[in-house]
Amino acid sequence: MAEPPVEPIKYVDALVRLPYHYVAGDCRARYLRALKDKKILGARCSQTGKVFVPPLVNSPESLAPTDELVEIADRGVVTTFCIVNIPVIGRALELPYVVASIALDGADISIHALVQECKPDEVRMGMRVEAVWKPDGEREGSHEDILHFRPTGEPDMPRDAFLNRL
Amino acid sequence: MSEFPPLHQEVVLEFPYKHSTGPVIGRFLAGLKEQKRIWGQRVRGQGVVVPPLGYSEVDGSAGEEWVEVQPTGTVTAVAVVHEPIEGLHPFTTSFAFVLVRLDGADTALAHVVKDDLARLRVGARVEAVWAPDDERQGTIRDIACFRVVAS
Amino acid sequence: MSRLRNVAVVAFAQAPVVARDEHRMATEMLYPQVRRALADCGVERSAIDYQVAGSADYIDGRPFGFVGALEVMGSWPPTQDLHLEMDAAFAAHYAWIRMQAGDCDTALVCGHGKVSEGEPRRILNLELDPYYQAPIGLDPLATAALQASAFMARTGTTDRRLAEIAARNRAAGARNPDVQVRSSASADELARTPWAVEPLRTGYVPPLGESAVALILAAEGKAERMCDRPAWIHGTDQRIELQTLGARDLSRSPSARLAAERALAMAGATSAADVDLVELSAATPVEELILCEALGIDADRSSPALNPSGGPLVGHPLMMTGLIRLGEAFRQLAGRAGDHAVAGARRAIAHATNGHCLQQNLFWVLGTERRWT
Repeated sequence: MAEPPVEPIKYVDALVRLPYHYVAGDCRARYLRALKDKKILGARCSQTGKVFVPPLVNSPESLAPTDELVEIADRGVVTTFCIVNIPVIGRALELPYVVASIALDGADISIHALVQECKPDEVRMGMRVEAVWKPDGEREGSHEDILHFRPTGEPDMPRDAFLNRL
Repeated sequence: MSEFPPLHQEVVLEFPYKHSTGPVIGRFLAGLKEQKRIWGQRVRGQGVVVPPLGYSEVDGSAGEEWVEVQPTGTVTAVAVVHEPIEGLHPFTTSFAFVLVRLDGADTALAHVVKDDLARLRVGARVEAVWAPDDERQGTIRDIACFRVVAS
Repeated sequence: MSRLRNVAVVAFAQAPVVARDEHRMATEMLYPQVRRALADCGVERSAIDYQVAGSADYIDGRPFGFVGALEVMGSWPPTQDLHLEMDAAFAAHYAWIRMQAGDCDTALVCGHGKVSEGEPRRILNLELDPYYQAPIGLDPLATAALQASAFMARTGTTDRRLAEIAARNRAAGARNPDVQVRSSASADELARTPWAVEPLRTGYVPPLGESAVALILAAEGKAERMCDRPAWIHGTDQRIELQTLGARDLSRSPSARLAAERALAMAGATSAADVDLVELSAATPVEELILCEALGIDADRSSPALNPSGGPLVGHPLMMTGLIRLGEAFRQLAGRAGDHAVAGARRAIAHATNGHCLQQNLFWVLGTERRWT
């Protein structure tokens, strides 16, 4: 034989397995721990007064520090949303479900959350919603302490109230 | 912001990959698995390259003819691992990484030596130890390791 | 050599290297360094035309994690930005090239990443090809040991010699407040440390550590307003070698030799030995010897001063060790090197590397005066 076999081995399998040991950083650690007490924290920009949630150490816009922590309400308004019809690996959510950008009262940017306890086609921009928390004793200080948001039944907010917080 | 008890999270990222080999790497690996033979490729600017990539790393030209090399060779570098890392290194007790210039090759093959580490040094003569017939899968570890034959 | 634009390093801010910062994420470590570099120059962020960073998502354990740094670099209003998955020194090289092209006059260069969050020996195994080299489990300490073995076999360099080089770097590090290892150690002590991967002892290799760095480059016309003693770039070049370890002569660095020659030629300098100090990204004493050989410097002579900062042995935050070498050269030329200053330093060489076994090498030649007038 003057050459190796004609048929090649087609693939080399490689399982990349990398363990990581993350640190949340004090800023995010305080935010997560406050969720256990049903508190949502934001941080205020020392230059513009804009409130970011979750809190950051500085404003990405002004580059100024955001040292002041403020409490944000656990209710707010749906700014924009989508209805998901396809399953996601690793999550067992009943289809279809709604993911919304929610501008909490007191915050200048939105967070993302599920909106449930209503039909998907009832969700609309401007709809008032409130957080549904895990019961006392079950909250651990993680994002999962908020189960989802649900409509409050209050009248919708006018567009001007949230258009710059989409 | 005042110092605060740290919050940690342990996460393992896992990505399974199937790397396509191509006609040269794939045939070299088939040669290990099916023939227990080690094939090099003559390549411009490098001579006989083992293991072959299919192209010259010097000028990018396509590799030329296949050239068989011997399973014996000379060690050009030795690194002894006394505390292997689980899940990364191929053994759980002391072993060595080596570069071996096989007889007939112009480049050195990176591989491992398990036994006889006291006799292992630059210049030692080694030979390939094949994995058993039913364990060879078409990977570089179809050569299970090298063993020292003269020091 | 045609006339190029005079560009200088005008600021350098570094977080002290620590084993693990328990209170800040990587970008949170970077933020104060960005603010400090801007403050040192007396400018607002709006004075910076271009921003570029070096980091590695695999170090961070976050796919596209590098995007997080945009928040702390001042990316609004929308700015020109680039990121390299390389030591941040290469990001500085890229910014220098953009300045030569006239695209920008000032640049912010950042290095970030927390080595403590991942396991670098597993991660950097993935820098090797997945067919032949990665599957046998080679990690960067093992490949450095292979290079050490090849070098010691060719040159007859002894374990004792490595201990002496490590001891010299430890003594220098004891005078540098920004390094991780702040105690000196004798060659005897270091030669008694156990093997990390033989023939490299634990005393000859850096501990794992992390930092965050920000460095500002500015072209002539702006540099003088941002720094009282800018460190002018006289020459720079970078070269890369083959990927396959066994296809290289690991005992030598032809890419370092060529990059140094080109950088020195651009600088109008005849020899690396003519500068006052050299900062090398040498993670082991063998790498230092290989680089000195490539530079044509006798590592035994007292001039030029080698790694007056202590070098990577005393602080090696991955993805920014090379930028720190450039920053240390700046500190020396700008008279800001404190207790580890090389008296009267007027010219310096700084080096960065990437890949296993010094596969890719970048050199800077800097001076207190402009290169082109």
